[in-house]
Amino acid sequence: MPCGKMAPVTTLEVQITVNGVARSVQVAVGQTLLAVLREQFRLTSVKEGCGQGDCGACVVVMDGDAVNSCLVLASQADGTNVTTLEGLSDANKLHPLQQAFVANWAFQCGFCTPGMIMSCYALLLHNPKPSPAEVREAIAGNLCRCTSYRSIVEAVLDAAALPERKSECDGGDD
Amino acid sequence: MVAMTDLSVIGQHSAAVGSLDIVSGRAKYTVDLSFPDMLVGKLLYTDYPSACIVTINVEQARAIKGVAAVLTHADVPGENSYLLYEADQPLLAKDCVRFQGDALVAIAAEDEAAAQAALAAVEVVYRPLPGIFDPIAAMEPNAPQVWPGRSNVLDHIIIEHGDVEAGFAKADLILENTYTTQRVEQAFLEPEGAVARLELDGSVVVYASCQTPHRDRMQIARALGIPENRVRVIVPYVGGAFGGKDEAHVQIHAALLAYATGRPVRMVRTREESIRTHPKRHPMTIRYRSGITRDGLIVAIQVEAVADTGPYVNMGKKVLSVFATRVSGPYRVPSARIDAYVVHTNNPICGAMRGFGMPQAHLACERQMDELARAVGLDPLEIRLRNGLETGTQLPIGVNILEGSGMKKSLVEAARLAGWANRDQQPRAPGPNLRRGWGIACMLEGFGLGRNRPDNASVGLELLVDGSVILRTGAVDMGQGAHTVLAQLAAEALGVDLSAVNVVRPDTHLTNDAGASCASRVTFVSGNAVLRAAEPIRKALFMCASEQTGISEQLLTLRGGFLHADGERLSISVSELAAKARAHNLQLCTIGYYAMDYPKGTFSEKGYPHAPGFFTFGTQIARVLVDTETGDVIVEELVIVNDVGRVLNPDGALGQTEGGASMGYGYAVMEELTVDMGRTLTNSLGTYLIPTAKDVPTMKVRFLETPLPAGPYGARGMSEGSVIPTAPAILNAVTDAIGVPMNHLPVTPERVWAALEYRRRDQPRVEGTR
Repeated sequence: MPCGKMAPVTTLEVQITVNGVARSVQVAVGQTLLAVLREQFRLTSVKEGCGQGDCGACVVVMDGDAVNSCLVLASQADGTNVTTLEGLSDANKLHPLQQAFVANWAFQCGFCTPGMIMSCYALLLHNPKPSPAEVREAIAGNLCRCTSYRSIVEAVLDAAALPERKSECDGGDD
Repeated sequence: MVAMTDLSVIGQHSAAVGSLDIVSGRAKYTVDLSFPDMLVGKLLYTDYPSACIVTINVEQARAIKGVAAVLTHADVPGENSYLLYEADQPLLAKDCVRFQGDALVAIAAEDEAAAQAALAAVEVVYRPLPGIFDPIAAMEPNAPQVWPGRSNVLDHIIIEHGDVEAGFAKADLILENTYTTQRVEQAFLEPEGAVARLELDGSVVVYASCQTPHRDRMQIARALGIPENRVRVIVPYVGGAFGGKDEAHVQIHAALLAYATGRPVRMVRTREESIRTHPKRHPMTIRYRSGITRDGLIVAIQVEAVADTGPYVNMGKKVLSVFATRVSGPYRVPSARIDAYVVHTNNPICGAMRGFGMPQAHLACERQMDELARAVGLDPLEIRLRNGLETGTQLPIGVNILEGSGMKKSLVEAARLAGWANRDQQPRAPGPNLRRGWGIACMLEGFGLGRNRPDNASVGLELLVDGSVILRTGAVDMGQGAHTVLAQLAAEALGVDLSAVNVVRPDTHLTNDAGASCASRVTFVSGNAVLRAAEPIRKALFMCASEQTGISEQLLTLRGGFLHADGERLSISVSELAAKARAHNLQLCTIGYYAMDYPKGTFSEKGYPHAPGFFTFGTQIARVLVDTETGDVIVEELVIVNDVGRVLNPDGALGQTEGGASMGYGYAVMEELTVDMGRTLTNSLGTYLIPTAKDVPTMKVRFLETPLPAGPYGARGMSEGSVIPTAPAILNAVTDAIGVPMNHLPVTPERVWAALEYRRRDQPRVEGTR
């Protein structure tokens, strides 16, 4: 049962650089980074699958690390650099990871995909040439119920194999 | 039959429809939609699995600032029922609650905080009832009744075929075993959600993450008490479903709140609410008795199964009908008696989940085949080859396999890929505490809704004068790739590239009824409807082409956007032909309708009234390692061979197959929705565990293509087939590894260890310790 006694709501201002743009936002105490990204910034690629850090659908990259944004308070994100899937491609140019996900059919319903790609993006930042086992370790916190993960692992290895991973590729045919 | 080489889109690699939206984060799911003045919708669920409602007091909740509406059963303008098949499940409970997923009050508020405060302010006084939680105990005459005056046995399905007594009399050996399966959860990644808003004329628009928009429309209209044509259901991207969104969830409640407030309302379940409410895969106890000759031929089977369906009808009867019609497996069975009981309890509702009764049926049947093989001293492969269905044989449900049984072919191919014949060359004990084992399981996937059930689809197709195509489909793509395959069929038929086809997603005002995305039926039924829709357009194009070129229509084809004569590309484009056809007043915008059409002779007169008529066959072989110290089961490799008729999309077919087998792997080794006295204990994805990237086994997948002439380009339904034989293959392999029969799902380390421990202590084996 939800608790009926609400604490008096107080807000505070936090500065977050989101997808390269410095933003200042009033957040409620206890508000999650997930809620701020989705509701205030309308970055709806960030998905809520469980709200308690079990599924990884809300993963974003914060100061270079993959985090479950449902487990990060907005106030904890103060002064950080946050990248969501929307920040990975500019205009119509797909990031090599995105391109590899399309080419490998590394998704079916697509709901886990934003968090999945962001976990893989963080992996490649730290480890540009991961082994298949390292990819599996990196996405072990991202649940996918549609695939067997094989196509996802292959997509990440493909993206890692692209020379310098320049984001010069236009989108495939849709 | 069209040869593969003549096709330019079917069978080819391409990006999936919607790929760019998905990888860029632009894809909008229901929960991502937002409208001005939108309210937050919430439901108050009961904490009691069985109780009478004495009073519901919502006065305080209504007085809370920011609360726009607090609705109870008294505020439902139309029928207060889901009205799926029977009016038994209330939208908002009135007199009693029958499981923990029953809702009592619907709330719309300005924000989450106000909605939560209102939820907390509702006062409900209950008189708790004892409830009944064990389906077998529920069948006793004096058991507490879930429905007063009505038996807890909701349905008893009987299938009789041949003379069973005479059959068993002919047997050299009779073997009886009991198998149990657990309750499992779909665990789609996107929890159920709906957004409802009113149009200026008072009609209701509902965006929903669902599988069956046109049936949802009917249910919403009845609850609101308005004509169906005043309800519009639109389906945005859907984040997985697996049967769990087949039945309406919160779309009716969201519509009620929008109707009551006049404002848009978004209602999304939390993960806990999702697991608490939607129907699960039935747990079953299956007693399987087989009579077999010394040569290993089955002469008779007798099966008795009890399934816990929870308190409401939902799809329970249908699931058990599918179970009962498939439990004899892909084998020749001369005589059979099958009794399936669908039993009410106060546990979570069970209903549709990928496989729809077939995983349980095959768990029992395929485990039993291995026990029979052992009993008569045959190899598990050999006993299946001796009994396997062939084209022309009849199933105990009175269905003739007319069109190519791929059963034995799939067995032989899987055995070859897995190295079955040489398996003894690999060490049985590769480490001090490790035992290796091998297991086979076959499957027959009857797809479509079956005999005497409405099973049809209508699609809209339009060729524009620039050569682009609009395909309007009411069939939901929840990740299985339906829209890609339907677009491929349209592109192939009209001779354009896949990228030229724009798919209009399901919207009951714009797209026609295609039925549910269930039963592996969309490619077959909607696919055939696409081909029918394309026919008049093709006719128009060829008429114009023949007129322009003077070449006979028989020699002309369309591909890649251009006209071809005798295989040679001409400089006349589809776009030009379309313009010409339009100028000639020829039809370029069509509706294609297809209703399931089984060939004459498929069903025998006396056969089961809802028997399936079309089948997909397949085999899986699991190689496992069992750690005898810990009981851990490691699946080293899973070989999967499915005869899908025709691979329309190689990537989609592979993805469906691997994904289904992953789900089957979870079913085999780790998943179980734990329910205690009607209360779900595993109510999060942290306690209900599904396979991660570190769990799923390596898979080797092959497709066979024995065409089904009635299918689009020979294709058979295939989305559920891969989930069906995985668990029995793994259980057979574990049994082979440790020499103790494993007859209960899931094979957790605890269960394996306990089985080994009983054997170590040389004590009689106690099965079913859960």
